[in-house]
Amino acid sequence: MNGLNNKSPSLLKEGGALALSVYKNTYLRFIAFGAVLALLPVLQSAGLMKASTLSYLGNVLIYAVVALGLNLLLGYSGLISLGTAGFMGFGSYLAAIFTENLQLSFWVALLVAVAVPTLFGVAIGFVSLRIEGIYLAIATLCVSEILLKTFEQVEEITGGMQGKKANYPVIFGSKLDRSGTYLLLVIALILTMMLTYNLVNGQMGRAMHAMRGSEVAAQAMGVNLLKYRLISFALATAYAGFAGALYVFFIKYTYPTVWNINLSLYVLAAVVIGGMRSIYGTVVGAFLVWAVPDLVLKNLPVIGKINGLPYIFNGVLIILVIMFFPEGLAGIPTRIKLFIKRIKEKNAAKGGAQSA
Amino acid sequence: MGNELATILQLFVRSLETGSVYALAALGIVIVFRTSFIMHFAQGSMGMFSTFAVTYLLTSYSLPLWASTLAGIGVAIAFGFLVDFFIVRRIKNASHVAKEIITLGLIMIFLGFAPMVFGVDPLQLPRFITSGDLTFGSVAISYNSLLNICTGIVITIVLFYVLQKTKMGLAVRTTASNESTARLMGVPTRTVTMVAWALAGVLGLLSGVMIAPTTTVTTTLMNAVQVNALFACVLGGFQTFYGPVLGAYIMGVANNFLRYYVSSVWGEQILYLLILIFLIIRPNGLIGKKLVKKV
Repeated sequence: MNGLNNKSPSLLKEGGALALSVYKNTYLRFIAFGAVLALLPVLQSAGLMKASTLSYLGNVLIYAVVALGLNLLLGYSGLISLGTAGFMGFGSYLAAIFTENLQLSFWVALLVAVAVPTLFGVAIGFVSLRIEGIYLAIATLCVSEILLKTFEQVEEITGGMQGKKANYPVIFGSKLDRSGTYLLLVIALILTMMLTYNLVNGQMGRAMHAMRGSEVAAQAMGVNLLKYRLISFALATAYAGFAGALYVFFIKYTYPTVWNINLSLYVLAAVVIGGMRSIYGTVVGAFLVWAVPDLVLKNLPVIGKINGLPYIFNGVLIILVIMFFPEGLAGIPTRIKLFIKRIKEKNAAKGGAQSA
Repeated sequence: MGNELATILQLFVRSLETGSVYALAALGIVIVFRTSFIMHFAQGSMGMFSTFAVTYLLTSYSLPLWASTLAGIGVAIAFGFLVDFFIVRRIKNASHVAKEIITLGLIMIFLGFAPMVFGVDPLQLPRFITSGDLTFGSVAISYNSLLNICTGIVITIVLFYVLQKTKMGLAVRTTASNESTARLMGVPTRTVTMVAWALAGVLGLLSGVMIAPTTTVTTTLMNAVQVNALFACVLGGFQTFYGPVLGAYIMGVANNFLRYYVSSVWGEQILYLLILIFLIIRPNGLIGKKLVKKV
């Protein structure tokens, strides 16, 4: 494209221009990010990465999807939910039941796993008009616990405490293997990131910002609170159901104890640590919460050798991030920029004083 | 007919026992919430850790149960102080959600520490009074159940007395109603918060020691208690100290009766659904006051 103006386009310049246009275009940036993620299994086949690493990375991708949903709810709309785990579990069971028991196709299972939790989300949206703050958080926890108890108790369908098995998905007649499913996760995450980007940069995002800032002011400006609360909760639960389906197709197993309150808190942690209202930040947050203990801390000399210590360190890490970076990891670049600017100003002031 | 009455009585006693466990845990949560404005999700994990300590001292050093429980109370107080000193008083200005994440960090720390210190094998904690029943006709109540019920009720009453009638209690109530004004009036809010965290730890330990004999001591020991205590708090409302206790006993009764008379599979779900419906009708809990939203 840029070659038209350049009389002697060097390869280097072309490459630079391409990198620049990728950097400037948000969608290309998402795709480039996805390409990097998708290339990771190659490292594994080349022997540079352990086989188990892929499972941990897959987990990060799945939980990044959920965390993006919660970020829409918490970061943009300012509403809190502790029901994430229940809805994710619901999605996983629905996907497993529809593919294994009913022998339906991957797409049908995926659709059901997204649609049914979304209906629940809409119902919670209605409830959220009455209940607020910490009471709303516990009310969503209540819904999550009802689902969890049902997974445990309805043994004929869910397998009870033994859990439920599933298989790698069959898409367009071909059965995927582990790295194929990993690729599916990458595509799912990138599409979710793009969708989230589009949602929050449109009219809906502005309405949500207004709602978070002041409900009364938002209403005065003509924002329909009920509508956007319903949409926020529906989206968060839809993402959770979607991620639940991805989970059961990748892990091939779902059982009740996974979907407890701690998981909801972990997702919340990923959002806050990564940075509210930051799409890449959320992915980094998910990495910190789900992959750092197993991928990083376990490989360190002393910490990794003692059982349990990586998790303690991750807990400490989470507390430290909250204490020192209350705006999340996404706030670090701005802080560095500010720091550099301040140094420059100081130097400029000094230089000015010397010349005068 | 007499049989029916006996069943109801038996269920009621069991409800009071469950209620006492929930009440102590809920009291810990609400005291921390009111004094340091943190939703204490780690209450259960900290209780689990100190209950583990009690069981470990009992089985590995063959200390008597009362001595190991006293030592466990010491552990709970120490960790309460440590958490307050190193974390809570340094995050005063963090947002609500950030504070909740801090308690998640605490959960991870205690979940990681417990198997490291006490091993991965599930342990068994005996009852305080191992045998003996109090019988009225066809109703048999074990002495241990009575002890648990009395402990729950006595501790709640003592705490309320302290909160209402002593200088320390006044300091806690002032901090709860307005922290910065309390500090201006010379209330040592830092000490109040520290005591609140230690107290929450002890209450968590007591509920852990009560529930442990019915199951095995593992890292998941307190999961159900934690969730039910949170529900008890919203049921009773966070605005008062006695609301959550009331909520806890209501939950204990409703839980046991629903599971016996309605369905052992769906009983708990029905209870949670009822709580949800109740919250829709009374969004601030049973005794909650409505907060007026200012523009």
